[in-house]
Amino acid sequence: MKKLALILASLMLTSTLTACGGSDVGKNGTLNLFTWEGMFPEEVLTEFEETTGIDINYVNFDYDETMLMKLQAAEGGDYDLIIADDYIIETAIAEGLVQKLDKTKIPSIGNVNPLYQGQFYDPTDEYTVPYGAGVQTIVYNPANVTTPIEGYADLWNSALADSVGIISNYRVINGMALKVLGKSYNTTETADITAAGTKLNELAPNIRLIKDDYIQDDLLSGEIDAAVMYTSQVTMAKMTDPSLEIVYPEEGIGFGIMAMFVPSKAPNADAAHKFIEFILDPERGAKCYEYLGYYCTASASEPYIAEEYRSFLTLPAEFSRDNMEMIENITPEADDAHIAVWTEFKGLCE
Amino acid sequence: MTRKNRRTATLAVLPMYLFSLVFIAGPLVYMLVLSFMTRDTFGFTDTFTLENYRKIFDEVYFKTFLESLKLAAVSTAAVILIGYPFGLSAALLPPKYAKFFRTAQMIPYFVNSLLRLVGWIILFRANGLLDKVLMALGITDEPLKLLYTYPAVVVGMIYVLLPFMFLSVYQVAEKLDLTLVEAARDLGAGKVRAFLSVTLPLTMPGLKTGIILTFIPSMGLFFIASILGGNKVVLIGSLIEEQLMRAHNQPFAAALSVVLMLLTGVVCGLLMKKRRDV
Repeated sequence: MKKLALILASLMLTSTLTACGGSDVGKNGTLNLFTWEGMFPEEVLTEFEETTGIDINYVNFDYDETMLMKLQAAEGGDYDLIIADDYIIETAIAEGLVQKLDKTKIPSIGNVNPLYQGQFYDPTDEYTVPYGAGVQTIVYNPANVTTPIEGYADLWNSALADSVGIISNYRVINGMALKVLGKSYNTTETADITAAGTKLNELAPNIRLIKDDYIQDDLLSGEIDAAVMYTSQVTMAKMTDPSLEIVYPEEGIGFGIMAMFVPSKAPNADAAHKFIEFILDPERGAKCYEYLGYYCTASASEPYIAEEYRSFLTLPAEFSRDNMEMIENITPEADDAHIAVWTEFKGLCE
Repeated sequence: MTRKNRRTATLAVLPMYLFSLVFIAGPLVYMLVLSFMTRDTFGFTDTFTLENYRKIFDEVYFKTFLESLKLAAVSTAAVILIGYPFGLSAALLPPKYAKFFRTAQMIPYFVNSLLRLVGWIILFRANGLLDKVLMALGITDEPLKLLYTYPAVVVGMIYVLLPFMFLSVYQVAEKLDLTLVEAARDLGAGKVRAFLSVTLPLTMPGLKTGIILTFIPSMGLFFIASILGGNKVVLIGSLIEEQLMRAHNQPFAAALSVVLMLLTGVVCGLLMKKRRDV
């Protein structure tokens, strides 16, 4: 119901925009943009409509899974450009729901940071262009945490009893324990995952809360002293309280990429390519990443990101593929093992 | 009923009947069928399996059922202890005051309960309004850790469910014939005896409706445990949501839902049966 209301609202909004935007907007067709809410600053969307005459129909989804279901129902049609998470794109490509990009229409493709290219979901970069990356970081309040935190293992310190907050993503959280044990995030050995579970259970006494939304508020209010959270939340926390410390865990960092792709039967694939090119403009891209609060995936935009944001919107130079690992899709058996570990762990946190 | 009347009645009922068939029975059948399928990385294949039901008996998942039952029982008991006397005494007040209490119970429900719980977080979180007031008055020195605990979840459940009990008891108690209580007292019954043998049996239907209206939803109300409990109390509802939205294990989520429905169905049936016996 909420989704329907959102769709109706966005339809109404775009029709109003068309109505008052004069004759130019909408004369070159419509771009059906399907992504989460709040992915672009309003001014960038308006600028695109004004300069290209293409009307943007911004449709939201809340979960990647919802997006995939709708794209499957539309058999790769209905939408022109989708931005979603890496793992779901792998599935969408495998199901033939994504078309290859026409690179001749995206001359600025070279602006993309190669660190975020050639990843598991699109090894040859034929289908996607990254738009923002999330890196799993620990954030803590140095006023309340006396022993320095350098890696995941430090979260197990009993000095942090009942004062750690974590996001509710079992691959990320179980992954911390896997990393502490020196394993890969993507191991499919159930024995490794179970061992990580035993390790994770020891963390339970330190956990004060598990939540995805607004966890940064709990860090800022003093409810918790340290947290493992999503990049956009780290950005918001750091903007409010610059004294917070951000830690890139020494065990190696995990990250996820959001990427743009054109569905196989997009009604207006040309407009989608125009939009990608538009966003790859270095200065405009910088504006987007500042708004988005995720790591900038376009090297060319980095110099344009304001100084105050740069430290947490661009990765320190020492990071390379060697000490970064993406969270990939794993076998159903391994996933079941993760869920069992996670459910048991949550029950112990009480 | 004449034949014509019967036809009119059938036509009037038909849309509702079709609606229930398509939108209630349909999904339930789908869910039941799905619960016997085998999971895939993202979806499922139509290979028949009983694995989803067997898995429910794994200790880790079985515990979530027990946890849900425990929370539902604790919340329902607390709601009875608070709601019954409150509903009874409010109904026995002069009508003007009785109405005031009834309306006062309903007013907060003009706002979505999710929003009200988020409001609670703002009030009760560390260094929130309550902490600031207490510390300014010198009553406490440091922030209280009130949220994200089991008691916080129980209080939240009571808060959301209390009006169901209050209104059920109130409605029955309103019609209570006080002369019967007086007669009992005249015949020598003490206050307690009169309550136990007259007032309580006569208001029992209200109490039972209240229990059904409290217990059934409390088995599924997982958002309170996630908001006020920081997701640490793992309930069956949150497990189903997680299986569906994150773990992509739709068949297991369906099996869990089927068992949850059976469980609440049995509890509901027991209460209804007893009610007929009264």
